[in-house]
Amino acid sequence: MSLAVPAVLLVLWEICSRHAIVSPRYFPPPTTVGWVLVDGFAAGDLGTQALVTLTRLGFAFATAAGPGVLLGLLMGMARPVRDAVEPYIAFIFPVPKITLLPFLMIVLGVGEPAFVLTGATSAFFQIVISTLGGVQTMDPRLLEVGRNYGARGARLFWKVILPAALPAIFTGLRLGLGLALVALVAVEFIAAKSGLGHLVYRHWQMLSTPEMYAAFALVGALGLLLTRGLRAVQARVLTWQEEIDRL
Amino acid sequence: MRAMSHWLGEHWIAVGSPIGLFIAWEWASATGLLREAFFPRPSTIVAHLRQLAADGTLWGHTAMTLVRIGWAFALAAVLGVGVGLAMGLWRQLREGLDPVFAVIYPIPSILFLPLVSFLVPPGEIALVVTTAVTSFFLIAFTTTHGVRQIDRLVVEAAVHYGARGWRLFATVLLPGALPFIFTGLRLGLGFALIVVVAVEIVSTSRGLGALLWLSWQILKVEDMYATFFVIALLGAVLSYGLAALRTRLLPWVQDVAERSG
Repeated sequence: MSLAVPAVLLVLWEICSRHAIVSPRYFPPPTTVGWVLVDGFAAGDLGTQALVTLTRLGFAFATAAGPGVLLGLLMGMARPVRDAVEPYIAFIFPVPKITLLPFLMIVLGVGEPAFVLTGATSAFFQIVISTLGGVQTMDPRLLEVGRNYGARGARLFWKVILPAALPAIFTGLRLGLGLALVALVAVEFIAAKSGLGHLVYRHWQMLSTPEMYAAFALVGALGLLLTRGLRAVQARVLTWQEEIDRL
Repeated sequence: MRAMSHWLGEHWIAVGSPIGLFIAWEWASATGLLREAFFPRPSTIVAHLRQLAADGTLWGHTAMTLVRIGWAFALAAVLGVGVGLAMGLWRQLREGLDPVFAVIYPIPSILFLPLVSFLVPPGEIALVVTTAVTSFFLIAFTTTHGVRQIDRLVVEAAVHYGARGWRLFATVLLPGALPFIFTGLRLGLGFALIVVVAVEIVSTSRGLGALLWLSWQILKVEDMYATFFVIALLGAVLSYGLAALRTRLLPWVQDVAERSG
């Protein structure tokens, strides 16, 4: 049942395109796009570009995750740190991170470090905010109980604060990964000369629409895999949390 | 006065930290510790900002961006709330559309630009529609969720007391879903800004995104910083301003995203 509607839509599209009810030049039949996908992977070209995007995503996420969680925890536990850093977080967080790209490109030059860091900042702020939220909204009774039983310093952190904040941290990492992908694809679309985002841009400009849709579908699959997959992992690993997703 | 000095005593770090940073930046750029070609002094940036504002360039671009955000947000809000309510009320519709939405939603909105430009006349309309895409999904999602989380007992009680059709909708379902709808609108507005800037970078010569990109291409670094500042200010106004507006207009409505961190 749940796949019926997408299937019907695809069949409808196929028929309309085959009979030129919609322009097959702009909306090629899904089967054609499917064959382009198969051919692209067989030739290795599509796989290579997907790998480029995934590698950038990996580097961006790795750059953002550690410092993001660390800063979030520090801000949550030490009031002066929070006071000192919060103005910048609050100011930069709503800004489209793609606007940082030109700044990173003049400092680092046009190349991978600038691209990757744009994706990383996108994830970083989300991770900091989620982690901070996790520490701040933890039940104060947990802290008191921990203290009463003699947990202090490192023990209090490892046994009480971190487990309480872990669901929020994981949510931050999951959202951050998604945001990094969005930022990176935009960077590829705008500035980079490789990756799936660039592939969509290039084939749009050349009006080779089947290839464009193939790359488009691949980005969609990647996004779906990341969001759904990580949510499943989160539900399995963090069994003590109540509810994961708010949306 | 006392209240203010008390406030300052509480928040002196939060106030002092940015001031300290700007002084340090000014000093480092002036002494050459930071390369002024990359990190122009804040005072220079302010001078450029004033000049851009004085000759009207900035207002033109800002107005352009704001108009685009306004249209895109209006489009996303009307369609998103409408579709979201319908999906919340009718199970069949929800089950049918859910998988379609799940696939489309994670796709970065900038990629819709080519698709949209095939569907509608390219130019301003394509730009606005592209900007609306992600906001639409966000608003539709949160609205659906808002309708679904309404306590069944409340709905049943209302039905027993004879509320049906429009009355049920206007007095029970809509108020019940309102916190979620508002959260969706707030997030959607934020996303509209993010996407419009990216789209302006790619495809136009006007608007704040275009101004930023143009300044980068001709390496007018000071203008880049000035434009960035305006975009950031816009982001702050849109996200925090709307939150403040809600507390004032709908004080009983809680922001769902804020509630659970």
